[in-house]
Amino acid sequence: MIRILTLAWLVWLEMLRRKDVYVLFILLAAFLATLMALNLFGLGQVVSYLKEIGLLLAWVCSWILAVSISTRQLPQEERQGTIFPLLAKPVSRVEVLLGKWLGAWIVAGAATLVFYALLALVVVMRGGAFGGVVLAQAWLLHLGLLGIITALGIAFSTRLNADAASVLTYVATLAAWLVLPRVPDLVLTARGAGQTGLMVIYYALPHLELFDLRHRLVYGWPPASSAVVLWILVYGLLMTAVFLTLGWLAYRNKRFTRGAML
Amino acid sequence: MSNAIDIQDLVVEFPGTGGTVRALQGLSLSVAQGQVYGFLGPNGAGKTTTMHVLLGFIGATAGVARLFGEDVRRTIARRRIGYLPEHPDTYRFLTGRELLLMAGRLFGLPRAARNARAAELLALVGLETAADRRLATYSRGMLQRIGLAQALVNDPDLVILDEPASGFDPLGRIRIREIITALRERGKTVFFSSHELSEVERVCDRVGILAAGRLVAEGRVAELVKAGKPAVAGAPAVAGGPAVAGESLEQYFIRMVS
Repeated sequence: MIRILTLAWLVWLEMLRRKDVYVLFILLAAFLATLMALNLFGLGQVVSYLKEIGLLLAWVCSWILAVSISTRQLPQEERQGTIFPLLAKPVSRVEVLLGKWLGAWIVAGAATLVFYALLALVVVMRGGAFGGVVLAQAWLLHLGLLGIITALGIAFSTRLNADAASVLTYVATLAAWLVLPRVPDLVLTARGAGQTGLMVIYYALPHLELFDLRHRLVYGWPPASSAVVLWILVYGLLMTAVFLTLGWLAYRNKRFTRGAML
Repeated sequence: MSNAIDIQDLVVEFPGTGGTVRALQGLSLSVAQGQVYGFLGPNGAGKTTTMHVLLGFIGATAGVARLFGEDVRRTIARRRIGYLPEHPDTYRFLTGRELLLMAGRLFGLPRAARNARAAELLALVGLETAADRRLATYSRGMLQRIGLAQALVNDPDLVILDEPASGFDPLGRIRIREIITALRERGKTVFFSSHELSEVERVCDRVGILAAGRLVAEGRVAELVKAGKPAVAGAPAVAGGPAVAGESLEQYFIRMVS
């Protein structure tokens, strides 16, 4: 476990020192400040409008951050050659994979917490409020979602370079987010193998929409049932484990040669 | 007592554009504990590939490789070794001290031992004053030195060095030689590749010469140059002409690999 934590700490430290994450914070703060200053279509005074746009921005920012961090970890180790002294130590490949995933997940989760805090601050400044329990549930489920996205990014990056892995992760998560909820409608019109194929896709891909509590936050609905939140988190954990296992299967016998890195 | 390194009939193949490329063709060698072993060969002979198999970076197509009797594919085999790669790439956002502390953590050293070991190694490689500077600001020679320090963090019984002198100035090379000698005096095994044959001649107990993925000569330096012939059964006869009395290791090496 100490080796996994050490590798996660390395990811965390790199993010802090490379300062990429600060760019996102500044961007989000700038967007929120603009939202506060403008009064487009007379909606500037409506706090729910601010909440909706702010949450969407927080989601998009955390999505970009999760994909970009997770997909670059393993290819970067190979490109820079740091994988060699690392694997020469008693560190197994599964530990490398888990350490990198954990680090990416923690960084994305911590950044999301800051995004939520910034948004809550802006909403309070405009005289609105978030339900504390709903906000905590939303963040927890968001963490579950980030676990899946970072695991998918890590899995793709075991065999692909960072650019290819990030494009695939963006496409896969967007498809899961936007297309998957529409699959049941398509199943009704499909026949035979096509119908079976759609059903397989529906159950095999992660249902990211389950992790979305934004409407509860925006419209001030009551908290979701704790049991439901727990089940969704278990589902998230399961999907994360599936993607990490697939990543490990691709990574465990990978050959690392200096020539291939350059 | 098991050998530090045992390699038997090792074959490594890579897929190439014109078919399969055989980097190692049935390599067998052993390095006893406490020896300093020089692993020589021209570029592309298979030295780095051999080291990469020993360290588990690549799997062998056929054959067996063991470190202290443990199959190299097992993580436990790497507990007693230290490794300095040819290109000392490292995490540029860390400081020299942080790199050593991180390496200590990966070996499971307790905090106090980690701190003490980091300070000791920084002094050994002459980087005390640069210890808290980011590695991004280090010169190539300094990176090589910190790379060597991280290879020694667990006080390894076997140190594998890939071209250790390549980034050093003459003073740095002398320091490397002193460190290798000190390791030998403490009963450690050193397995290193180098193109600096004069260095090899000075510090090695034994050398092995690799050409086109095969071991073509092996033995004590003095014996090899004196005999002037292959010391490996089945190796091709010396191609570069008859043995010359009193030839240097460099002359012998050129005849063996030409």
